Parts: sequence; structure tokens; C-alpha cells
Amino acid sequence: MSSFTRRGVIASASTLLASSIVGIKPGFSQANYPSRPITLICPWGAGGGTDATARIIAQVMEQKLGQPVNVVNRTGGNGVVGHTAISTASPDGYTIGLLTVEIAMMHWQGLTTLTPKDYAPLALMNVDAPAIQVKADSPYKTINELADAIKAAPPGKLKASGTGQGGIWHLALVGWLQSLGLQPNHVAWVPSNGAAPGMQDLAAGGIDIVPCSLPEARPMIDAGRAKSLAILAAERNPQFPNVPTLNEQMGPHKSVGVWRGIAGPKGLPAEVQDKLVTVLKDVYESKEYKDFMSNRGFGTQWAEKAAFGQFMDESDKQMGEAMKAAGLAKA
Amino acid sequence: MNELLEAFRLVLAPDVLIAILLSSIYGLVVGSLPGLSATMATALLVPVTFYLSPIAAVASIIAASAMAIFSGDIPGCLLRIPGTPASAAYTDEAYAMTRNGQAEVALGAGLWFSALGGIAGTISLVVMAPVLAELALNFSTYEYFWLAFLGLMCATLVARSSPVKAIASMLIGLLVACIGMENPGGVPRFTFGVAELLGGIEPIPALVGVFAVSEVIRAIVSPEPPPLPARKFGRILAGQLALTRKYWRQMTRGNVVGIIIGVLPGAGADMAAWVSYAMSKRFSREPKKFGTGHPEGLVEAGASNNASLASGWVPALLFGIPGDTITAIAIGVLYMKGLNPGPTLFTERASSMYALYIIFILANIIMIPLGIMMIRAASSILRAPRAAIMPVILVCCAVGAFATGNNLFAVILVAVFGIIGYVMENNGFPVAAMVLGIVMGTMVEQSFVTSLIKSDGSLLPFFERPVSAVLAAMTISALLWPAFIWSWRRFRLRRQEHAL
Amino acid sequence: MRLSDRVTGSFVATLGVLATYGGSQFPPVPGQDVGPSVFPMVIGIGLILCGLMIALGIGHSYEDEAEADLAAVQGPSQQAEPASPLGSRLWALLPPGLLLFYVYAVDRIGFVPTAALMIFASALAFGARLRVALPLAALAPIAIHLIFYKLLRVPLPPGLLPMPW
Repeated sequence: MSSFTRRGVIASASTLLASSIVGIKPGFSQANYPSRPITLICPWGAGGGTDATARIIAQVMEQKLGQPVNVVNRTGGNGVVGHTAISTASPDGYTIGLLTVEIAMMHWQGLTTLTPKDYAPLALMNVDAPAIQVKADSPYKTINELADAIKAAPPGKLKASGTGQGGIWHLALVGWLQSLGLQPNHVAWVPSNGAAPGMQDLAAGGIDIVPCSLPEARPMIDAGRAKSLAILAAERNPQFPNVPTLNEQMGPHKSVGVWRGIAGPKGLPAEVQDKLVTVLKDVYESKEYKDFMSNRGFGTQWAEKAAFGQFMDESDKQMGEAMKAAGLAKA
Repeated sequence: MNELLEAFRLVLAPDVLIAILLSSIYGLVVGSLPGLSATMATALLVPVTFYLSPIAAVASIIAASAMAIFSGDIPGCLLRIPGTPASAAYTDEAYAMTRNGQAEVALGAGLWFSALGGIAGTISLVVMAPVLAELALNFSTYEYFWLAFLGLMCATLVARSSPVKAIASMLIGLLVACIGMENPGGVPRFTFGVAELLGGIEPIPALVGVFAVSEVIRAIVSPEPPPLPARKFGRILAGQLALTRKYWRQMTRGNVVGIIIGVLPGAGADMAAWVSYAMSKRFSREPKKFGTGHPEGLVEAGASNNASLASGWVPALLFGIPGDTITAIAIGVLYMKGLNPGPTLFTERASSMYALYIIFILANIIMIPLGIMMIRAASSILRAPRAAIMPVILVCCAVGAFATGNNLFAVILVAVFGIIGYVMENNGFPVAAMVLGIVMGTMVEQSFVTSLIKSDGSLLPFFERPVSAVLAAMTISALLWPAFIWSWRRFRLRRQEHAL
Repeated sequence: MRLSDRVTGSFVATLGVLATYGGSQFPPVPGQDVGPSVFPMVIGIGLILCGLMIALGIGHSYEDEAEADLAAVQGPSQQAEPASPLGSRLWALLPPGLLLFYVYAVDRIGFVPTAALMIFASALAFGARLRVALPLAALAPIAIHLIFYKLLRVPLPPGLLPMPW
């Protein structure tokens, strides 16, 4: 890691040098911020859901700010590289980034020393809860029937998939199994490269359960190959009104979920933060953003600055507990 | 019928036509630059599609990816630097043809059979999408394991080298694929504390290193080769009809294999090209000519990889499951434009679907004139002095690798793989086999481990399921084939000795 | 740089030993019978076997045969062995070295100057005259910058010499 932070320092130093040559001192033009294009770092590749979210946010921000907002995909290291780039950018407001739930997970596995505390939180933009999917012709009609079947089955008999070992949906399943009073590995986890291959294997009959977000499950549900038994959230998803919540069916349960939010490097000046939060609030309430998110089935949730920081801390704690329970956390 | 008319109206809109034309040119240029792949051409288009209408956005992805897969053959043929992993399978063959003064035949074959393959793939998409989708859904991890294993066996067939060294190269590639935490256990392996290695080594920087950079190294240490005899570049399509007549069997087989492999999520054009080239050699009447500048394998592999590109859209459109990295990006664009994948796309938005079909056909037709222009322009490289070309290629390698994730670490990887590739190639270890190992490694391990979890540790399902059993038989016979040949030769040799 | 089969074979086998050892150190994963250590170990053992076979010269006949086939079609190999082995070996390090220079320099002095230096140095190494190398080093980086920065939107650092677009 040491080489990594050093490179970050060098990178920001060189930006400093570059900007002083061009004649813009960092921190100088805060009154008329932004006076040049802003870079929005996305830690995941072009074409994915996170990339699309970053791009719609950038597009609306551009309209509101009157300055270009360029999305730059900084991939590599399973999200570590991009998240590091956000935290080590120079805190002048011209480089911000999209944080994803992985920032609350990776440090528990000892993959990075970065935690949500290493950023200046600006705005939470999106939260997606997991839902429990089974095959369309599966005998389980409700989540209660599935829960009974899981309890009755010997450990390891039933299989679930939807992400890699220790991924977010694995943790969601572990959390649910624990709330049923079962061991974390009572349902065997079959690692996969994401929700889409997991849903395919569900349709092919290779596995029994896929916990993943509803937008990820939608194509297979629409194709009549899978059905969703419950969403692990406080409220139903307006895009999927027929899917009941777990709370309705089995009583309260607080599950982990995925989220995305905008943050800057630590030390972002207060005026810049205020300006960005105001703009992001406008973005969040804009028709373009709402339409885009509802079209993809993504859930929206707003929290700004300290509240977003608190949200991340809670998420971080929850992840830590789930990962320790599943034996995935280091130390 | 109304829907078909509506579809034509959608496609013939000026913005769509302009998008197809521009993105075709873009795809041709990007694909032909050493160090830039078809996947990257598509990824770099995503921000642009944001400002286009839905049909124009999808059209630009389709056109650019089809063109880039074809034009990846161009630097492979002229400079021995494949533009995409798909062309790596037959680069040596195409380059050998260039050295024999047949560059236009090699490139023409790439162009002609790519276009025909693309059209065949599209027809399969139109006619058999539901059937193919069913096939894809019946492929479980057991079948994928054998398929990936079979793909790896191609390493020995494709290389003109000792099979032992080919297998060793492939194993080195598999070892490279182990790096990172993208494994079933989610455990970081061989990362040596370097955060950039957590996500593993992408095939693109490795490919650029072992082919392009090692080619630059080879050029710098060896004296300038005698220039190719100056002569007029022949007609590009002239020989293709004859080739089509001569090798129509190979072409059809390439199309079928490409369509089947393309439709299976996760396999894609890279594997289609490898398997087809290997099959072509395996079933050829003149396998000895392979690798010396013989068009037969080019015909089959070219026909295969563009066919797989079109059929890869079947699971993407029906279930939102990406067939390869290109369709993974395309799915993102479909969602962004409100054309959410799913069967409703075929029923409720049939006109959009027909429009996609028309775009596929159109893209593969305009590929021929645009491709001819591109080949003519690119062939001037053959006359340019080496001292002017190689430095520019080196910079392209750096920028291309950087652009994969805007991460300078990829450039370091390119440098490292450049040295590895140079040393391996000089000692008779085929680097193409290593690239194959890197591309297939994760799939082999993932499918094997997940299969065992699903079967509670039993190996039986690997042989029990019908498709799985067939694939297993094919794999095992491919595995035993070299040993059989070896002992057969031994036997013959001994008989000859006896006769003496 | 052609090494004997004995050297490359031993190297492959050593790599196999390292992979097997490194693989055996990975912790097991709960719920997976085949853990993360199995695959590297299988590959490692395969590499050891291949390495030994290569060192013993098994399968070498195929190489000679393949070369003979190639020579039959194309005439004798065009890639003659370089005259001075040591000197040429050092030249071989230039392209990767320039790539590392790119990594080191691009964020400091910007893309265009870095690329210009790379092109100039490698063009000279290829024996280009100054008349060719200078204009090439001046123009090619600008053209590449235009394509990648403007058309492909790759964020190349501006550094000392920002381009007007």
C-alpha cells in the first residue's frame, strides 16, 4: 500500500505543478467555483450500472453548473484503484467521485486501508435492497415456505448464487439466515461473476436461490423464468409493486444493500461542498435523474454530507458484522 | 409487416445512418490500432451514445464492434501484432501470407468471411433466437468446464511448435489468470501486496505486451529485413469467390461453431476464433501447411468470430446475460436507452428489434467497401520505413493500455509482458497459447469449483449430463490425441529401423 | 537470445515449484471443498512436468519439423541472429524501458513531451536520421493526442504542454 499512497501524493503534486503553470492556483477561485471542467471518477468500467449512474449524474450536473463534468472510469484492483484515486485527488473540488458499497467492505477483508472516513461525503444518490429470487416453477410460493424449506433441509443441501464469495448478496443471504437462527453456511454459496450469471444458473436449474437486487433480476422475471418472493427492505419497490417486503411476511429484518453516493477527497473546502451539495440536490430532484433511475428499477434515496457520512458508517458496521459472521473478515 | 416497415423507417432516419457510418469508420480505425481492442472501441463509445437516440446508440455499438473485430486482423496480418484477442489465434498464419506476398488475399479473406459470418450470425439471431436462448440456458457450469477445457486444448493444435512447450505456455497463462481475487474463493492470490493486482491481469495489456512490444523488441535487435518486393497491391476481393467455393465447408462449419459459441454467455468471439482455427487444422487434408501462409484456417476462423459476435446478442437481448465483454457493455447502453432486455423487447417493441436486425445486416454489408478502403490505407505501412512505424506503435501501446482503465499500472504490465513475450517466442514457446490461458483461466477454475459446490463434491455430473458427456468425450480424445500420434510415430520409426 | 532447452525447461519447472508452494499457502474457504490453493497447485505440478520434459528434450523433434515445413514454403528464416549478442540484448531492454519512462514521466511533464521523447529515442535506436526522427517526434504525439484525447476521451495528462483542444 505504501507505494500506492506515494503515487497519489506524486499525482496530486504534479497536478499542483501543472495548475500553477497554467495559472490557476488551487483554492483560488472558490468564489466563482467551478471555473473549469470537473472530473467525476467512477471506480467501475464503462457500460455497467454504476457507470450509467455516474454518467446521468454528470450530465445533469453539467446543465446545472454550466461547466463540463467528465466521467473518468478508473478501474482495476476490484474497485480499490478508483476509490483510492478519489481519496488522493487534490481537494479543490475539480475531482470528485462516485463511491460504491465496496468501500465499506474491502477494508474488512484487508484489501485496502481505505474506509468511508477517508472521504468528504457529499450526497447519497441510490440504494438498492436485495430480493430473494427462486425459479419460476419452484414449489415455494412465499418467502415463508422457502424459509421453512431451508430450515428443514440439511446444511449445504440448498445452493444460492448471485455474486462472488463474500460479495454483497452473499452477505445479505448470511444476514437473513442468521435472523432465521441458522448457520451462515446452512445454504451453500456458489460464487459467480455477478447477478446475471447467477440468474442464468437459477433458470438452468443449477441452484435454488438467488439473492440480488430487483433490477438485476428483472430480465429473467420478465422472461417468466424466475420469480421474486420478497424484497429485504422497509418498503416495496414502486417498480415492482407485487413483490412483498420481508417485513410484511416475516417481521422486521434490516438487511445490507448496495448504495452509491458522491464524495470528494478529505479537506474539500466548505464553500465547494455547499455548492456541490446544492447542485447534487437539484440533480436528485431532476426529472432526468428520476426517469432514468425508475426506468432501470434503481431505488433512490437522498442523504447529504454528515447524514451520508453517518449512513456509510452504519453500512460499514453492518458489513463488518456480516463478514465476521461469515468468516470472511480478516482478523 | 407494419412493424417491419416501422423498423425500416427507424433505421433510415438520418441520425441513425450517420451514426452507423461514423461508428463504422471509428471501429475500423480503433480496431486496427495496435493495442486497442474491439471491447475498448465499444467501451469508449459509451459516453457518446449518451447523446444519441436509442436506435442510433445501439446501431453505433453494433457497427463499431463488428468493424473492430474485423480490423483487428489488419495489424496482425501486416505487422504480426493482433488488434484483438480474437485475431491472436491466426496472426502467425496471416503474417506468413504477408511475407509470401499475399497480404491482400489474407486481409481480403478476413474481410469477406467476416462479413459473411456476420450475416450468418444475424440470420441465426432472427430465425433461431428462442432456440439458441434455450440452448444457452441449458448450459450449466459442468458444460462450461468442458468447453473451457476444450478451448485450452486448442493451444497445442494452433501453435507450430513442440506440444510440450505449447502446453507449458498455456499453463503459464493459466498461472497469470490466477493472479488477483477474481477467483471462486474471493481470496487475493499472488498479488504481493500490490493493490492494482487485486482485480487480476486483464488480457488486453498482456496481449499488447506479448505481441506488440515483443515485436518492437525483435525489430530493434535484428537487422532490417529485406523489403518486400515492390509490387502493386492486388485486388482485395478477387480471390475470395474462389476461396468461398473451395472452402465453403470450412466456412459453414466456422459459422455454425461461431454461432454456438457466441450464444453461450462468457465464451464469445475470442474463443470462437481459437476453436475454429484449431478445428480447421485438425480436420484439414493439409494440416502441414497451417502456419506457413495457408488461407484455409483464416477462412474458418474469420467466418467464426464475426458469426459469434451477432449470436452473442441472443442471451443479451432475451435475458440480459452478456455473451461476451462487448455485449456486456451493450446491455448497459440498452438499459440506458430504455430498451430493457427481456422477451418483451421482442413482443412489445418488435419494431425496435427488427431495426436491430436491419442494422446488423447493414453494418456487415458496408463493412466490405469501408474495409477495402481501410486495407488499402493500412497497406502503406508495408512500404513505410521501420524506423518510423515502430516508435509510433510503442506510444500507441502505452496509450492503448492506459485507456483500458485510465490506469498507468496497465502500461507497466505491457512492458513486463513485452519482455516475457520476447523471451518466450525466441525459445519456441508460443505466446498465443499463453494469451489463450489468460483468457480462459478464470472460466476453467470458476466452472470447476462452482460445479463441485453444486454437486456436493461429486464428479459424476461432469459425465452424466448429456451435453456434458459429449463435451467430455471430445476433450478427452483431444487430450489423448498427441500422445497417440507420438506413440504411433515411435512405432513406425521402430518398424522402419527393423526394416533396415 | 536463444537459450538451451535445458535452461528454459529448468526455469519452467522452477516456476512450477514456486506456484505449487505459493498455492499451498492459501487459506481454505468455508463451504468450498476445492479451495483457492488447488488450481495454482495443479498448474504448478503441470509446469514442473512440462519443464522436466522440455529439459529432457521430449517433443523437440516437432519444433525442427515445424521449422522445416516453414522453411520449405518461405525459404530460410529471415530473422538472422544478431551479430553482437550482448549489445543487442541491451537494445532489447529499450522498448520496455521507454514504457516505464512513460509511466514515470507522463504525470509530471505531460503526454505530448513524454511521447515525443519516447518516439525520438526509439526512432534513433532504429537508425533513423535526424531529418526523420525530429519531425516524427514533433508531429506524431500531437496526432495521437488528438485521436485519443479528443475523439476517444482518454484523459491524457496535459502537463507542461497543454493542447489547445
